Amino acid sequence: MANGSLLAVGFEVVLLVGALVVLLVAVVAERRRQVWGPVVGITFLLAAAVGLWQWMTVQDGGGGLFFSMSDLAILRSPMVVMDGFSAFAAMVLGLVGFVAFLGSWDLQARLGKRAVEFSALMLLGVAGLHMMAGTPNLVVIFIGLETASIAFYVLAGFTRTVKGSDEAAFKYFLLGSLASALFLYGVALTFASTGSLTIYGADSIRNFFNLELVTEPGILLVGMGLMLVGLMFKISAAPFHQWAPDVYQGAPSGAVGLMAAGVKVAGFAAIGRIFVAGFISQIDAWAPIVATIAAISMVVGTVMALVQTDIKRLLAYSGVAHAGYLLTTIVAGADGLPPMWFYVGTYAFMIVGAFTVVSVVNGPGSADSSLDSFKGLARRNPEMAWLMAILMLGMSGMPFFAGFVGKAFAFVTVADAGYLWLVVLGTLTTVIGLAFYLKVVSTMFTDAERVEPVEASMPARFAVVIASVVTLVFGVVPWPLLDVVANAFPF
Amino acid sequence: MPLLSILIAIPFLGALIVALLPKKRPELVLPVGLGVSIAPLAVAVWLTAEFAVGDPSFQFGELFVISDVFGVSWRLGVDGISLFMVGLTALLFPIAIAASRSVTDRAKTYMALMLILEGAVFGVFLALDLLVFFAFFEIVLIPMYLLIRIWGSGNRVYASIKFVLFTAVGSAFLLAGIIALGILAGDTAGSLSAFDLPNVLAVELSETTQLWLFLAFGIAFAIKIPLFPFHTWLPDAHTEAPTAGSVILAGVLLKLGTYGLLRFNLTLFPDAAVDLAPYIAALGVVGIVYGAAAAIVQPDIKRLVAYSSVSHMGFIVLGTFAFTTQALQGSVFTMISHGLTTGALFLLIGMIYDRTHTRAIADYGGLAKVMPVYAGIFLFSAFASAGLPGLSGFIGEFTVLIGSYMTLPVLAIVAGSGVILAAIYLLWAYERMFMGPVNSKIEGLKDLGFRELAIMIPLIVLILGLGVYPKPVMERIEPSVNVILDRIESATEFDVPEYGREPAPTIEIDHSDDGHSDEEGDH
Repeated sequence: MANGSLLAVGFEVVLLVGALVVLLVAVVAERRRQVWGPVVGITFLLAAAVGLWQWMTVQDGGGGLFFSMSDLAILRSPMVVMDGFSAFAAMVLGLVGFVAFLGSWDLQARLGKRAVEFSALMLLGVAGLHMMAGTPNLVVIFIGLETASIAFYVLAGFTRTVKGSDEAAFKYFLLGSLASALFLYGVALTFASTGSLTIYGADSIRNFFNLELVTEPGILLVGMGLMLVGLMFKISAAPFHQWAPDVYQGAPSGAVGLMAAGVKVAGFAAIGRIFVAGFISQIDAWAPIVATIAAISMVVGTVMALVQTDIKRLLAYSGVAHAGYLLTTIVAGADGLPPMWFYVGTYAFMIVGAFTVVSVVNGPGSADSSLDSFKGLARRNPEMAWLMAILMLGMSGMPFFAGFVGKAFAFVTVADAGYLWLVVLGTLTTVIGLAFYLKVVSTMFTDAERVEPVEASMPARFAVVIASVVTLVFGVVPWPLLDVVANAFPF
Repeated sequence: MPLLSILIAIPFLGALIVALLPKKRPELVLPVGLGVSIAPLAVAVWLTAEFAVGDPSFQFGELFVISDVFGVSWRLGVDGISLFMVGLTALLFPIAIAASRSVTDRAKTYMALMLILEGAVFGVFLALDLLVFFAFFEIVLIPMYLLIRIWGSGNRVYASIKFVLFTAVGSAFLLAGIIALGILAGDTAGSLSAFDLPNVLAVELSETTQLWLFLAFGIAFAIKIPLFPFHTWLPDAHTEAPTAGSVILAGVLLKLGTYGLLRFNLTLFPDAAVDLAPYIAALGVVGIVYGAAAAIVQPDIKRLVAYSSVSHMGFIVLGTFAFTTQALQGSVFTMISHGLTTGALFLLIGMIYDRTHTRAIADYGGLAKVMPVYAGIFLFSAFASAGLPGLSGFIGEFTVLIGSYMTLPVLAIVAGSGVILAAIYLLWAYERMFMGPVNSKIEGLKDLGFRELAIMIPLIVLILGLGVYPKPVMERIEPSVNVILDRIESATEFDVPEYGREPAPTIEIDHSDDGHSDEEGDH
């Protein structure tokens, strides 16, 4: 525990330095992506490596609380925490950022000069996302949330000439700001009732619950509720999901992958940190609410996805359902964190891969992405079709794909926590979900009039291959990852 | 040597090999695929030969714990029931693959999917950890879905998704049931894996819990079988599937359901099984009569055979819930026999469909004059399916009827009509297709060639062989079904009728032993 350990903020530092370097290099190299492109990719990989370093340090007992006003204050109200939880988030976010960057390569080719800003924003956004996972302080979580959100508002509207992109960005901005405001209000009310902004340390919320009597339970409940609602917006859980389909549809396909995957990872990290680590003593108050939201999300996401004719909207609604499955793990409290990490870690890769395929099939900047455009893909580009099939089966929760292990692990944990009704609902919606995932597969094998081959660039192919490999490998041999997530606990 | 793991691994590796074959050499796909699928057959034959007759325990067992975090173990084993399911699978896959020569579009993918399917089915029959069992049970859907979706006929999009959704709905309950059972078991026993079969067998469940879990497991298996009234996916899927798909679907995949009932529902939830037995057996009998009646009026020969499957599967369900040694033995035997006879019929229909591209019975007529060898084999298979004495179908269904008469006499009598109805629909179809004046559409068709005969001969030999001398099969099945019955007897107040069980050295039992050999030997 020292005030100066850079390793604790190493992930953010690497990404911020990377973003600056890229902006500077691009001044010299201008449009040649071949020059600065690798810098972005290496930055993401380096960040993931820092995550691994943090992980190993933590496993050796080297983690802890860092950074405060003074060395002495660390114990009372730290600003940064380095634990298995934040280190795992760092590894996932670094790698997902890398894959998403590869997936956005085609889009960058189209953006020309502005591509470098796009990449820099990706780097900054991911840095913000990890800030949410790596701090015990509610205000810093908010700052991370805003850093990431503002970067993603811009990314959503990056192809502003394309119809829909504008609208998507604006909608995302308005609803996202509302969510951020709600979250901040929740933080304020929590402070009002507990007198603390931090989850760990002597002055922490946890200690407050241990030592003091809650005199204003109403204010505390409203505070927790508002924070929950704010985060539910971000992870697009029903009924706070309405922005997601429109934004996903309108935003450029190359950018949606990171938005969808990264926000889910960081959002669940924040939910896990705040509710499971911070408010675990109040679990009886929030667990029923979270269980209800999980149930609504699973049902609404699944049913709405069934009727979609647009692949991006379909993936958005499937994302709502996945938010529901993920929330069930939160209901289980601390036991739910390993399944949550397994699920969200693998799902992040699947969704980035899926949006990369969409970007390959429909063109990276295009807002049009009807399901019909996937017709005949099995002949027009068999490789993409089969990889997409793997990703779809992975998301649907078929055995031997990572989605099944995630779901089964989650369901077992949730059933153990006494929420068998959530498990039954979850298995049923999983089956109904199979219908629309197979609809995508079926569409790819439907012969179409359009027979011209679909060309995929090398980086995009690479991105989809990585996503599929993750889906398959952790579906068949999930044990290494299961052992890792079993240690990804908060401090 | 981990024989069972090897058995599961061979087809998966084979699929990989097939996928890696050079694109320019499509002619390699079939021989390689066939070669890969014959290897498990060799293993299965070896298993059958080495299988210790009279030993009721799981043999060739393998066990290692995969993960402490998640509580899953890789426990495999073979008993008298799964032995023959494995054998049937290992036999039907090479035959179905050999019969797939007409598949030329994306042949590599097709072959890889067939092999993945084979590996997954082995996994279902061999896995003794419930979660691993479920994983294989569920993944079977995907290659089958793609086989119907890509290579099926006419209405394939509808049929394939209907097949998946029906079965997957059942799986949802199965998974929830397995998780609930594992949680209950984990609380009482501190074993290697909460989902390990010996572990969950040790749990004491209340009658209400048993009932709910029985229903959760049962609905999954009932849809898979399919038990009336969950059968509506079957005619569509069977009819639209490519020939090999139909053979595997009817021959192997339906047995996943009846196998599941035998293996899990009867042993894990004996109280609930005894309480619900008359109702489920009644549904089975309704299926027998309904399936047969529906088969009579089908204008499409493939649909006719599909409905006949509903009927035959009803016998298996009736036998399963009659709780006597003979009935259970008959059930398992009918599973084998149905796989052989229905497989043969679907293959024959596929062969004629390749020539004429029609399945309508009305398009045929006088086929016996045009293709005499084909007609002979078809008649043989039809007789076997209808249960002509001396062929395998008779042994299975007759044993079921004898066995179930002791505990469910009324249902057994009604079920007996199924045998007669089977003769009606099969022989009437034969008459319309093969007798009478030669339909102008089918003049000049070539009779079966050497390749097609080679595909049929193993099935014919086995149908005849098992019909004449079923003892090697029966004696391997018997100890395993007695284990199930002992479990039911010890856990519930139900008394299994002693007739025909384990021979003992007293005169009365000697008499019953005579009866036992009577029904096996006298036909």
